[in-house]
Amino acid sequence: MNPPFERGPGFFHLGVLLGASLLVPSGVRAEWWREWHAELWHVRQACAQNGGAPWQVEWDVTAFCLGAFQDALCVRRQRPQRHTSLAASQGSASHCMLVLAGILAASYMIAQVLPGVRAERRQARYPVNPGLLLIRDASYKDDATPTITGEQFLAWKGRTQRYFNGLAYYRIGRETVSDAPAKGRSHGRVGWEVARSSLNLFALLGVPLRLAAQNGEEDDKMPRVILSEGIWRREFDGNPLIAGSVVHLGSGDVRIAGVVPDGAWKLPGRADAWVLESDAEIRANGVGGVGHVVAHLTDLGQAAMGGVHIHITELSGDESEDDLVGVSLNQLTPSPRMIFLFAAVMALLALPAITSVSLGEYSLSPQRTSWPRRVYRWGFLSAKIGLFLPIVYFVSLDLAFARAAFAITTSVYIQLASTFLMCLFGLSWMLKDQRQRCPVCLRRVEHPAQVGQASRTFLAWNGTEMMCMGGHTLLHVPALPTSWFSTQRWLYLDTSWGFLFAGPGAGINNEGV
Amino acid sequence: MATETKLSHTAAMILQAVEAGFVYGFSIMEMTGLPSGTVYPAMRRLEGDDLIRSQWERQSIADAEQRPPRKYYKITTAGRTTLQASRKRYPLLERLIPTEPAEVKTV
Repeated sequence: MNPPFERGPGFFHLGVLLGASLLVPSGVRAEWWREWHAELWHVRQACAQNGGAPWQVEWDVTAFCLGAFQDALCVRRQRPQRHTSLAASQGSASHCMLVLAGILAASYMIAQVLPGVRAERRQARYPVNPGLLLIRDASYKDDATPTITGEQFLAWKGRTQRYFNGLAYYRIGRETVSDAPAKGRSHGRVGWEVARSSLNLFALLGVPLRLAAQNGEEDDKMPRVILSEGIWRREFDGNPLIAGSVVHLGSGDVRIAGVVPDGAWKLPGRADAWVLESDAEIRANGVGGVGHVVAHLTDLGQAAMGGVHIHITELSGDESEDDLVGVSLNQLTPSPRMIFLFAAVMALLALPAITSVSLGEYSLSPQRTSWPRRVYRWGFLSAKIGLFLPIVYFVSLDLAFARAAFAITTSVYIQLASTFLMCLFGLSWMLKDQRQRCPVCLRRVEHPAQVGQASRTFLAWNGTEMMCMGGHTLLHVPALPTSWFSTQRWLYLDTSWGFLFAGPGAGINNEGV
Repeated sequence: MATETKLSHTAAMILQAVEAGFVYGFSIMEMTGLPSGTVYPAMRRLEGDDLIRSQWERQSIADAEQRPPRKYYKITTAGRTTLQASRKRYPLLERLIPTEPAEVKTV
């Protein structure tokens, strides 16, 4: 036999048949393919013998092959694929994977929609510069409370520092913004949360500014203001030519010098705009106000920084000592990934306290499972964990950032607690689930039956028996571990049990054992 | 009274062709002039109704002729009964495809 399929059109025709064969139910596909393959050979022979132009031959054969699609559809209609009912598939490995994948998809979709989570993702785009400290008075416990006066900041800044090579200051207050003369647009009189900050604040933080005006572009003495992206979009319609415009803020005019992207501001306090002030302006305007100081550590300072907090003693303007605390900004705003990893590791360590980490006893069976089955079993457990951990991550994000108005610390605690609890009980469930899956087909064993009496535990067997509905195994779980039956055991069923499992999809099939 | 299967003209023509000895799909296509997308699905339905049955040619025969084995179709008793009824319904059927076999294949 020498089928004439070597040429290009031959492969094309086989490809057409192959495509049509995909419509045929798998149970009859082989026979369907055999018939059409044989017929194609004969059709090609017959067409070639009839003579005619080569293109005519190929056209006739192609027309013949295209009919295979109609035939395939006819076979498909006659023998519809057997759809496994949901009830029948429940407990199977694929059903478990499907449920986990569904939960993962749902949690991911929710994370995509929640404004708080989206804001957090934007924040992740702007990492905090390493070596930054937020400094507060040691007598206050809350890092977010402003405690430092402008005079204190200027006094520290004026001294030679060994541990810091950069100090910046800001204090937030509500101010009125009125007409914007440069734009000729009346905003009315509205209140903004305005941060009065030192000139170097954004440079120290490493925050990239959008629409930043070039240095020297506006050579005047007017203070510069940086807008938040929200205000820029809301009040200025996202005008890309806004840099250089003048607005009246508080008691004077300020020139717009840039926009802070959403998510880039990670320090305590919410601000709509930041007015950059010189030291003289801070001294003049900051009487009685308190704010925050951000410092950048030198190498010496970073070496001295042992943990999250560091105590600092500084001489104030009147030569008295200020007791201060510096908090690492990276620790102040830990990333959700770090929180997740920390909580997951803690849950892993706590897991043995609430459940056995054993996967059950397989070695006592005289029938050892084959290595492909073992790989399958371990692969299933790995896949389960692989789907579960992202679920925990996204659900914890959904909970922690369900409201965009949550404070950072609230979100951190919610994520920490939810991740820990979900990991702890989720991993516990996974181990229990794995212990109750048939080693042959990974279906969950069902129909628990209590066997024996508790009062006769040490005289006879007392425990629970469950069976694999595929008819592969029985699982014996002792009610009370004893020296002669300390853990669960699998009993592999031979073909003599087959009559019990006559349902569809069931049957003894221990080839892989 | 047994229910008689009523065939369309196309199905009756294909059944008549099988009765006449055109026992595989391509020969029926050639005889009837019908395309493959009509003939093969019709034969599936006829086989599903037990009017014809299929059988694979022996491999040894195909090997001797250096070609792949074919699937041959044969009319059943129920098929003959139905065909008789269809001939009454479609009187020209026998004239279109005479029952004298054009080629007899050994299966």
